[in-house]
Amino acid sequence: MSRILVVDDAATVRLYQRQLLEQAGFLVDEAINGLEAQEQIARHGGYDLYLVDVNMPLQDGYGFLRALRAMPISPAPAVVISTEAAAIDRERAYAAGANFYLVKPIRPDLLLQVCQRFLAASLGLANASQRAVQPSNHGGEQ
Amino acid sequence: MAHISITLDEFLKFREFFYRKTGIRFEESKRYFVDKRLIERMEATHSGSFREYFSLLRFGNATDELQILTNVMTVNETYFFREDYQFKCLVDSMLADVVKRKPKGSTIRIWSIPSSSGEEAYSIAIYLLEYWRGIAQWDVEIISSDIDTHILQKAKQGIYNKRSLQHVPEALLRKYFQALGDGQYQICQDLRDVVNFTRVNLSDVADTCSYRHFDVIFCRNLLIYFDDLSRLKAAEVFFDALEPGGFICLGHSESMSRISSLFRIRHFPQAIVYQKQETPVP
Amino acid sequence: MALIKSSAHADTPLACTLLSQDTATLVQMLTDDDWTIRRQAAFALAQHPETTAILADRWQHEPEPQVRHAIVTSMVQIATAEVADIFLQALACDDPQWRNQAIIALQQLPQWVEPQLDRLLCDHDIDVRIMTVTLLASLPITAVEHRLIRVIEQDQHVNVCAAAIDILGEVGSEQAIAALQAVSQRFEHEPFIAFAAELALKRIRGD
Repeated sequence: MSRILVVDDAATVRLYQRQLLEQAGFLVDEAINGLEAQEQIARHGGYDLYLVDVNMPLQDGYGFLRALRAMPISPAPAVVISTEAAAIDRERAYAAGANFYLVKPIRPDLLLQVCQRFLAASLGLANASQRAVQPSNHGGEQ
Repeated sequence: MAHISITLDEFLKFREFFYRKTGIRFEESKRYFVDKRLIERMEATHSGSFREYFSLLRFGNATDELQILTNVMTVNETYFFREDYQFKCLVDSMLADVVKRKPKGSTIRIWSIPSSSGEEAYSIAIYLLEYWRGIAQWDVEIISSDIDTHILQKAKQGIYNKRSLQHVPEALLRKYFQALGDGQYQICQDLRDVVNFTRVNLSDVADTCSYRHFDVIFCRNLLIYFDDLSRLKAAEVFFDALEPGGFICLGHSESMSRISSLFRIRHFPQAIVYQKQETPVP
Repeated sequence: MALIKSSAHADTPLACTLLSQDTATLVQMLTDDDWTIRRQAAFALAQHPETTAILADRWQHEPEPQVRHAIVTSMVQIATAEVADIFLQALACDDPQWRNQAIIALQQLPQWVEPQLDRLLCDHDIDVRIMTVTLLASLPITAVEHRLIRVIEQDQHVNVCAAAIDILGEVGSEQAIAALQAVSQRFEHEPFIAFAAELALKRIRGD
């Protein structure tokens, strides 16, 4: 079963995503900021997918993504879920290592679609060969 | 007083707030534990309802009721080998990492704060002597501090009862303690002489500025009682007190993720600890 | 080799020396090449409130996060309206690192933030409004609920309302019930708003 980490400082947002994703059959863990997300990874190993808010105290979404991309774990897709729709914010997200960008408020069907798409792609890659070269936007800045 | 009970939603509301404030998270299985203490505090503060009490918590003087509640919600008992998975981590993992960076002949420095009545510092000492091979090659200095001079005196005296010693194996009890009768034991003179107990107020820069060059800091179950600003300042003190690459351990329900982004997370088999970066960020 | 008790270190740490250092020297050290020196100078300047503007300027240009931490900690300790203003302006900053540090600082400066809240909640920048709402959650002031109710009654932007609903779940009372029901209607095409409002109502009713 795929494991997803929801990273957002708002309890309501975390609960919403958790319920939605658990109903769809995913295992969900939570973190209230990038630092706690790193701790979850330390405790439970890398996740199959990350859903990452931007504005969080102590470590924001971009800081977390940069730290994530520097970790010696198998790369997994990360979706930034932001309140900001401007192009510059998307650029920043991709530069930090995001694979996709969604704008709040969350639309449940879209979120599920995106999760399923990226998880299927990861599974496909993992099945296809031993260690395929990952797409370049995983590189990200550190 | 009319029978008060806490509803599930009230519990959840409280849980989220308390988690945000202290980092301590209660599973739903802990409801009886939490509800009982909430009701006690509601009675003590003459709050007629949970809502009234919650309002007091949120908007009242943060250092008063929240502090009292935190005390009541956490297990404050101190005893030898408390949360000893961290001492195992010290001797099995952290120190191996530390000695890689230290020049031969230099002293390893460990800071234990708060000292309380000394159980933690002496536990560390015993662990090092018993379980760390490196003690044969390295000098280790243990400094243990508290704001309370009275408790420091107790720590220097090193007298404990059976309850405090219940997790100490019989063989170690015989080796490091002397029975005084009446269920009291005193830790041996050698250890009382070598552990350095000092008075420190973490919020006073005049006190803390000379604490430097530590390789490992144990600060367990102290920061949860601090307000946000004091916590932030304490994290800065610890950062400066540590050598690059040095480690800090918090209590098992605490996390740096709520306090400061100064440290990076290190995951060892026995524990998650926090580390000061080894070289400055470019 | 063994456990030892050693005497005090020979060299006095910089932080101790700086306790009695004059302002001009400290300000100069704030631009030293060595970040550890800049950090200690920043801490020492907490005792020199007249350097607020210099600290603020350094904060905005300082590349080293550990030095920025020290500057923010000192500014929070100085705790004046001037300090609060600097952080309030930083809420509109482009880079989330600075914005989020500003929020952490402002949480410690409630008496200067409160008079600005109404103005901030009407800011043209959606993110400033959202951040102000988030700030409301952690300010130890009483006049939070009515502001949040006003937000969900009047703010046009769904994400600002979402942030306010989240907090009303914690601080809300019966007074918020009508507004929570109304905001669900107002954003009837947003499933997240329906969920959030329902959750907040549940928390308030305690059933």
